Amino acid sequence: MEDKRSALKKIILDTKTLPTLPGVISKLNSLSDNDKASVQEMAKIVSSDQVLSARILRLANSPSYGFYRVSTISNALILLGVNVVKSLALSSSIFAIMEKNSVGLWEHSLGVGVAANLMSRKLGLSECEEIATAALLHDIGKVIISLKCTDAEMEILRIVRDRRIYILEAEHEVIETDHAEVGGWLAKSWFLPDKLSEPITFHHDVAKSESHRIKTSVVHIADVLIKACGFGNSGDCYVPRIQQVAWDTLNLNEQILSEVVGEIEDKLVDVKNFSLEMIGA
Amino acid sequence: MFNFSVYERQAMQKIPLMQAKAGMVLARDVFRGDSSTVMPICGKDTVLTDDLIKRLDQMDVQSVSVQGHPVWEEGELSYEDLLRELDRRFEKTMQDPLNSILYDVHKAQLIRSMEGDSGR
Repeated sequence: MEDKRSALKKIILDTKTLPTLPGVISKLNSLSDNDKASVQEMAKIVSSDQVLSARILRLANSPSYGFYRVSTISNALILLGVNVVKSLALSSSIFAIMEKNSVGLWEHSLGVGVAANLMSRKLGLSECEEIATAALLHDIGKVIISLKCTDAEMEILRIVRDRRIYILEAEHEVIETDHAEVGGWLAKSWFLPDKLSEPITFHHDVAKSESHRIKTSVVHIADVLIKACGFGNSGDCYVPRIQQVAWDTLNLNEQILSEVVGEIEDKLVDVKNFSLEMIGA
Repeated sequence: MFNFSVYERQAMQKIPLMQAKAGMVLARDVFRGDSSTVMPICGKDTVLTDDLIKRLDQMDVQSVSVQGHPVWEEGELSYEDLLRELDRRFEKTMQDPLNSILYDVHKAQLIRSMEGDSGR
């Protein structure tokens, strides 16, 4: 049984066919490890790739972060932090595909980003931008499965439709793993920090998240909330069960939930506009 | 006791400025850009006029919240349809205590958003 899974892992992580990572990433990686690197230096490197810069700025101004007006890469680095800009750069090539081919999943991801940001602010958590980024990327595994295993993806979606089950269950039947684990492999292969890779890997099993359980809990709940709103399309239409451990970790109650849901519904109009603009662009 | 704070708020709809029409009444203050930390440029309860809408557009306002539910999108679902959709989304988890809290929150929202539904 292990064979299918490891074969799949090999296919997915085959760098020859993995969406090409912008060359600036490795430069950025070597810089941020060096304490002396200044924001200006980093901004200069990123700005040398104009398409990438435009994509980063577009994402930085998306409703998932929409509390700022970010007009330059150095502003993005200062306001959102190096980690966030780096992961935005990494994911932008994936998102470029997603915007066109799977609008529903793109909208779902943006929505979860918004919900996670609103929730972490409401709960007074630190590193809201990182949480929003993890939320934006939480289903990145689905994009990769769709890119690399198109036949398997069609089979998965057929099973979801015919048997009315969660996509997670269908994934286990067909590929013996799921999008969360695949997303985790990808995050690791991209050297994303644990605070991003852990919520991606465990957003369906919060109890397994050890170092960043708060962040993972927010992404899990944000996912549930967006599915409850029926916004976007993440493969199936069913609201996942809220995991008690996430509820307890964040100390949630009815009052907070009701306030957050109100704010999300309000913000989703902006998300819809943003995604329509992107598709039109 | 569950606190339905959503019930207490007034029925309103957030719409793109493009769909705003003279005669609609603002349900919330309008701010320049997205920031609510600055002074509002137009107060709630203001009745919109064509001139006012034009000026908001010039100030880059993207959307406004108006009282009631004046705009119906084509294909927008009725209350019964929306409720059926909500039930379908929750069909696997309705029995779960935490999910049933979330379901109630959504149902309350749905009812609130349908209040002030006059034209249908």
